[in-house]
Amino acid sequence: MTQDLRYSALKKTPFHAKTSLASRTNKYYNWNGYTVPTEYSTTELEYTAARNGTSVMDLTPMGKYEIIGDHAHQFVDYLVTRDLSKMKDNTVAYIIWCNEDGKVIDDGTIFKFSSTKFMLCCAVKIYNWLNDSAYGFDVTITDVTDTIAALAIQGPTSCSTLKKFGATDLETLKPFEMREYKIDGSDILISRTGFTGDLGYELWTDPKNAETTWDNIEIAGKELKLRPFGMYALEMTRIEAGFIQTNTDFMAAEDSLRPTRMRSPYEIGMGWLVHLNKNSYFVGKKALKKEKEENTTERCLVGLDIDGDKPAHGSVIYNSKKEDIGIVTAALWSPIMKKNIALASLKRPYGIKIKENIFAEIYHPEELEYRKIWARCKVVKRQFFNPERRNKVPADLYE
Amino acid sequence: MPGNSSFDAIIIGGGHNGLVCANVLARKNKRVLICEARKECGGMVNNDITNYVPPVTSAVSSSIGGMQINYVPKTTIALSETGQHIRLVGNQHIDHKSISTFSSHDADRFNDFHEKMSKFSKTLGSFMMASPPRIMNNSFSDYFKLFKLGLNVRLLGKKNFNEFARMIGLNIADELEDNFENTLFQGLVAHDSVIGSNLGPRSPGSLINLLYRMAIHNNSLFGGIFQIEGGNDQFTKHLIEKCKSNNVEIKTSASVKNCIIENDCAVGVELNNGEKMYAKKIISNADPRSTYFSLLGSQNLDTDVKRKIKHHRSKGRVAKLILELDKLPSFNNCDDNDLDSRMVVAPSIDYIEETFNPSKFDKLSLEPTLEICVKKDSDQNPKLDIQVQYAPYKTHQGWENVKENYIESVIKIISKYAPNINECIERKKLLTPDDIESEYNVSGGHWHHGEIQIDQLFMMRPIPGASQYKTHLDGLFMCGAGTHPGGGLTGISGKNAAKAVLDDF
Repeated sequence: MTQDLRYSALKKTPFHAKTSLASRTNKYYNWNGYTVPTEYSTTELEYTAARNGTSVMDLTPMGKYEIIGDHAHQFVDYLVTRDLSKMKDNTVAYIIWCNEDGKVIDDGTIFKFSSTKFMLCCAVKIYNWLNDSAYGFDVTITDVTDTIAALAIQGPTSCSTLKKFGATDLETLKPFEMREYKIDGSDILISRTGFTGDLGYELWTDPKNAETTWDNIEIAGKELKLRPFGMYALEMTRIEAGFIQTNTDFMAAEDSLRPTRMRSPYEIGMGWLVHLNKNSYFVGKKALKKEKEENTTERCLVGLDIDGDKPAHGSVIYNSKKEDIGIVTAALWSPIMKKNIALASLKRPYGIKIKENIFAEIYHPEELEYRKIWARCKVVKRQFFNPERRNKVPADLYE
Repeated sequence: MPGNSSFDAIIIGGGHNGLVCANVLARKNKRVLICEARKECGGMVNNDITNYVPPVTSAVSSSIGGMQINYVPKTTIALSETGQHIRLVGNQHIDHKSISTFSSHDADRFNDFHEKMSKFSKTLGSFMMASPPRIMNNSFSDYFKLFKLGLNVRLLGKKNFNEFARMIGLNIADELEDNFENTLFQGLVAHDSVIGSNLGPRSPGSLINLLYRMAIHNNSLFGGIFQIEGGNDQFTKHLIEKCKSNNVEIKTSASVKNCIIENDCAVGVELNNGEKMYAKKIISNADPRSTYFSLLGSQNLDTDVKRKIKHHRSKGRVAKLILELDKLPSFNNCDDNDLDSRMVVAPSIDYIEETFNPSKFDKLSLEPTLEICVKKDSDQNPKLDIQVQYAPYKTHQGWENVKENYIESVIKIISKYAPNINECIERKKLLTPDDIESEYNVSGGHWHHGEIQIDQLFMMRPIPGASQYKTHLDGLFMCGAGTHPGGGLTGISGKNAAKAVLDDF
C-alpha cells in the first residue's frame, strides 16, 4: 500500500481501510510507527464483546521477526531465558529475554515452524538486539512486521467465528499450537494465542489477503457478537488476565535511563520463565544465577484486590506504618470479576511474605476535586481472570 | 570438575606475557601448562617482528626471579635526504647539542618539552604498573587506586594539571608545531607517537600514544630503546629457561580449539587434535577477540559483551619488510655507528599524515614511513629489518596482488638514503598485518592486541567488565597485551594477570 508521507508520517496497516470504516470515534494512536484505533465505539462495549462474544483487533504493528538458518533453534534458545530445547514444531511459546545484567528487555511469543525457521513477536522493535545477539550463529533475521498482516480474534465465540470463516477442526487446536489453513484461496496461519486471557486465536497472513479476511471474519461473526476492539479494551482484558506490559508494568532494560529502574524476571513475576539449569548459555544467565544464589531480588510484581470500587491508577502503596512500599502499575474496576483490581510493583518482602495490611492511597477525581481514599489491599494471584474455557480442548462452540 | 584436573593452570599461548605469567604462577608452587600453537614459544617477540625493546621493569623481573639479559642502548637517527641527519641518544645534554646544530630554538624548546612530557608519562606510568581498578566493584582498594591517580595528576600542580588535561586528547602534530621549527625533528617525534597505532599525527589522541611509549621507555623520548645482546629472542629464550627451571610444562604445536566449559565455568581446553586437558584456571594469552569469539565462543557470550568485543579496535597498521643482503649498502653520510642505530624515515609531519590518509580507506601509500634496523642473520650476513607504518590490514586489491609493488616502493624510498641498496638485496620478505594475523594468531595483526587509546585503556582495556584480567567466563583469565597496561613487550600484563589468578585460587 503506497501512501503520501507528506500527509502522515505514520504508516497505515493493511487493515486500515476496514478499521477506519469501523471506527465511530476516529481515535488512533501510534504503535510502532503505525496508526491503529484506540477505540472504535465505546471501550465498555468492546470489552463486553471480548468477554462474551468475539473481538477482533489489528495486530499488524506488533514487531515480527523471522529467524531462519541452521542455528535458528540454538540461537532462539540462547536468546531467551526459557528452555526451548525441547520445543516442538508448529507450537508457540511465551518468552522473555534479558540483557547481560539479567534485566528484562521485553516479553513476546516465539513461533516454531521447524528447527531452522522461527518467528518472534513482541510489542516493540528489537531488530538491532536480535541482530547483535545473532553474531556467531548461522541465522538470518528479517523484520517481517510490514510483510505479515496479523489479527487477534479473541473471546468465547472466537472458535465458532473462525470455524464459520473456514478454519475446519479449529476446536482441536491446543493452546500454544498453530496450524496453517488455506481459506478462500489465502494462506492463513492460525495460532491459539492471545493477550486477553480467554479463548482466542491470532491470524497471520499476507497483507494482500488482509481486507477480504477482515470482511469474511466480520460476516462469519455476525451472529456471534463480533466487534472490532481497540487498545483501551485490550488494556482492560490484559490486566484481568494478569499479563504484563513492557514500559507499563516494568521498564524495558534497553529503554530505562536509570539503572535502578531495570527489573529482573524475578522482580516482575517471570521467574517461572527462567531456566538456570538449561544446558547451554543464554543472555543474562550469569547475572540471573548470581541474583538467585545471592538472593538479591528486591521487588516483586503482584496482583492486588483493593477495597472499594475506585480504580487505584498510579497509586502509591503503603504498609501499616505508612511507609512507601511500592506503586500500582495498572489498575481497573473489573466488570467481569466485580472487583477492584491492580498490578503493583512492591518492595520485598511485601507481596511475598507480607500479603496483608497494605494500603493504596487512591486519588479519585470528582469534578475538579480529588477524593483521597485510603483503601486496604490484599495480595492475590496476578491472574485475576482465568476461565476454564481458555485452555479447553476441544474449544467451546456456539451456534 | 573432572577428576583428571592435573594442572593448576593452563596458559593458552606462549607469548612473552604468557611465559611471564607461567613463571610467576610456578614460583607460587602452581603446576602450569603452556599450550602454544606455533612450533616455538615467544609469539611476536622474535627476530622477525621485533626490532627494539623497552627495558623490563624491576617489578616484572623480580616477580620471575630476576632476568639475566644484557640490554644494548640504541641511538635514534632521523634520516634526511640531504644527509643532514639528526642523531639522538636519550641524554638531555647530548641531544640538546645535536638538535642545536639545526636550530638552537628547537634545542632549548626540547629541554622544556621533554621535561613536561616526562613528568606526564611518569604520572601515567604510576597507574600502569598495577591492575586497573574496576569502578562498579565498590572495593576499597579500587577506589584507592582511582584516588591515587587523581592525586598524582593533581600533585602535578595547577599549571601542569591544566596542561595535562589539555594534552590528554590532543594530537601530536599541534603540540610539535607549537614547539619546534625543524620539520625533520617534528617528523621523528610524530613517527614515534603513531608507530604501531591506527592514528595519524593529526588524529586526536595521538599524543597519549607518545606518553604511553615514554612510560615504558624510561619516561624518555629517545632513551630506553634497546636491543638484547644476542638477538631479541634471547628474551624469550631466557623466559623459556626460567619455565624449565620452575617446572612449567610447555606443549608446542598445540593449537587450542576452545575452552571446555562446565557449569558456566572454564575447566579445561580442547586442542584442535581433539586432546582435552583440564585445569583449575585457564589463562588466555591470545588477543581479546580470539579469546572471546574463539576460545569462549559467541554462543556463550551476552549480547552486550559481543557488541563490546566487536567494537574492540585491533586492526594492525604495521608491516614488516625483511631484506636479506649480501653486503650492507652505503647510507649517505652515515658511519658504522649510524648503521647500528635505529634509522627512521619520516621527513615531516605532513609526510606521515599523507602516508596515513590512504590507509584509512584500506589503500596503500607508496611513500610509507620506515623504521630501519640493521641486523645479521645466522650466517652473519647483513639484513635490513624494516617496520613499514600504515600498511593497511586488508587492501582493496588484495595483498597478494600488490605485495610486490609495495616492496618495490619501500626499496625506492630507502634508495633515496642508500642509493646502492638494489645491488645488495638477495631476498625480500614482507609480513603484512594480514600475514602477522595468520602466522602469529593475532586478530588484526596488531602489535598491541588492540589500539592503545583512551577508550581502550585502564579499566576499559580490553573492554569494560573484563578489565581485571578476568573474562566474562568464570575460571578464564587473560594475560596478553590486550589487557592493561597493553603492549610494548613489558611483561606487565602477564605479571598482573598472574596476581589476579593467584587471588582467585
